[in-house]
Amino acid sequence: MSLIEMHNIRKDYHLGETVVHALRGIDLEIDKGEFVAIWGPSGSGKTTLLNLIGAIDEPTEGDVTMAGRNIRSLSDNQKSELRNERIGFIFQSFNLVPVLSAVENVMLPIQIKGVSYSEAKLKALGRLKEVGISELAHHRPFKMSGGQQQRVAIARALVNGPSLVIADEPTANLDSETAQIIISIMRDMNENDKITFIFSTHDQRLLNQVKRMVRMEDGRIVNGDARR
Amino acid sequence: MMKWIKLAMRNILRNKRRSLVTLIAIAVGFSAISLFRGYTDRIYWFLKEGAIRGESLAHLTIYKADWLEKGKLDPERYMFSQEEIKRITGLVMQEKEVVLITPQIQVNGLITNGTISLPFIAQGVVPGDDKIIKGSWAALRPMTGEQLNDHKPYGVEVAKDLARFLNLEPGKDGVVMAPTLSGQMNALDIQVAGVFDTTMAATNDKFMRFNFDFAQSLYNTKGAEKFVVLLKDEKKTGKMRKAILAKLTAAGIACEIKTWNEMSAYYARSKGLLDVILLFILSIVLVIVTMSTVNTMSMAILERTREIGTLRALGLKQRGISILFATEGGLMGLFGSLAGIVIHLIVCTILRIVSPTYMPPSGTVAVRLWVDYIPATLFALMVFLVFLSLLTAFIAARRAAGQNIVDALKHV
Ligand SMILES: Nc1ncnc2c1ncn2[C@@H]1O[C@H](COP(=O)(O)OP(=O)(O)O)[C@@H](O)[C@H]1O
Ligand SMILES: [Mg+2]
Repeated sequence: MSLIEMHNIRKDYHLGETVVHALRGIDLEIDKGEFVAIWGPSGSGKTTLLNLIGAIDEPTEGDVTMAGRNIRSLSDNQKSELRNERIGFIFQSFNLVPVLSAVENVMLPIQIKGVSYSEAKLKALGRLKEVGISELAHHRPFKMSGGQQQRVAIARALVNGPSLVIADEPTANLDSETAQIIISIMRDMNENDKITFIFSTHDQRLLNQVKRMVRMEDGRIVNGDARR
Repeated sequence: MMKWIKLAMRNILRNKRRSLVTLIAIAVGFSAISLFRGYTDRIYWFLKEGAIRGESLAHLTIYKADWLEKGKLDPERYMFSQEEIKRITGLVMQEKEVVLITPQIQVNGLITNGTISLPFIAQGVVPGDDKIIKGSWAALRPMTGEQLNDHKPYGVEVAKDLARFLNLEPGKDGVVMAPTLSGQMNALDIQVAGVFDTTMAATNDKFMRFNFDFAQSLYNTKGAEKFVVLLKDEKKTGKMRKAILAKLTAAGIACEIKTWNEMSAYYARSKGLLDVILLFILSIVLVIVTMSTVNTMSMAILERTREIGTLRALGLKQRGISILFATEGGLMGLFGSLAGIVIHLIVCTILRIVSPTYMPPSGTVAVRLWVDYIPATLFALMVFLVFLSLLTAFIAARRAAGQNIVDALKHV
């Protein structure tokens, strides 16, 4: 059984009178431990697809299953728990909570789960060390560079030991050198911890690091299984 | 919970100016209520003591059954006889809570200085008992000359304006006239013992106070119109009314018993008015606090839409978002209330140092402006405002908590 299974997924957006067909029949399976890049031009439906996989949005048609569970059948609270425990999110603009320090940001998912402060802090510091910015643990986000913020975000996405990390254009706000570093950090995590990574990008230069590429165009997958 | 309080604290500090404005609104609202409440509390106490001691109503008044309805038509029948006076006094004095029971008569008549006559209303009281009822209140009763006493039964007290109109002062003589119970006109010589100030313009031109025995002779009776009962503890008034009524009824004496607040129309009216004003202030503050919390929280929520989306993506439930903002609102209410308490204490202290006075609406002597400091009231008000701002924030955040996560994440 694949970690993620999608069959004939459609997603429409309604903009007043007009309907935008963002996804027009997607079939996709992703196995545990994969390191996948969804790539394609802007507007091809990458973000929409990742939102469905991340259980923060629902398809208009078709079902998404994660580890055999149909996401549509879950209540809002169950989806929250699923995201908290099984899915990590990395965003294009980092989305760190500005009033919290790096380590406090990393602690958030664990604390949402209800783990004690001291245990959460220990884990968070460990993850910060893994992404190589222990020394910034007590800095607020506005004092950090984009690359540093995204490292904090990676630590935050990994801190609950998820089976899947979703990153929508994680490098779009970074220079190309930093972008390569961020992708390689993610890649290391994937190799060491066997965590599944799915990220989207429109930057072909990043594809040299991935194992599998899913090419999207116009709401469809044009090549879903290019391996390297 | 601690983590959310910490997060809420930091978010409050994030927009200091906006938080400060809300805080001030809550603090001012808080102190407006607490100061007015502290002020009225003082006045209620003053009015209560004024009724019990000043008006000599004591705590309970005992009438013969139907006196209030028919007494004026047939006073003889509805007054307590000499023998009943003895029996009732004996029975009531058995109660441990009773300090004293004393008979009174009210007399209506004319007072003349030989040239002019004016109507008066006089309270006939037993001087020794009345002195006990007045207690320390006597000091608050501006008076010249001497008080009623047992040595000179025909010595009377005259209210200030009445004395002035008749050109009477302590030591001067006059005559009082009134119909006896059987209807003949009776006149007795008096001597002014003292001139007192009722502190109310409406009564200063007609009130007098007689020795009880003297009032009896003017009415040509050995009876009493009513008794007043002084208790050790004002809080037991209701309980003692029941106990005494039961006791007297069991002894075959049909009577009615009124409490001091039922007797003092002035107290009831003043309290009623102040209570309405308090309610009015309370509702204004309620609106201000609610609106400023709604305003502040809505702005904060809107600004942090993307943060809400992020927290939801990280797995925080809708209720968690609401709680987060409710905590912020509640903290704002808490700090605002604490600031309100500080304002209250500052004003209290200033009033105690400066001690300004003011003229009460119906009064004739200036009263010291005073605000009580009642910890229980301040605490209750704080709990109320914290709860109010917490609830307001919770409701304001509910829609944001339920919004689409994807839309929230796209928000700039
Ligand atoms: N909330 C929305 N409302 C309407 N149309 C949308 C919305 N989100 C995305 N779209 C449209 O859906 C299509 C796919 O968008 P998106 O998934 O964001 O693509 P990508 O991430 O590859 O750029 C685009 O045409 C976009 O304009
Ligand atoms: Mg996109």
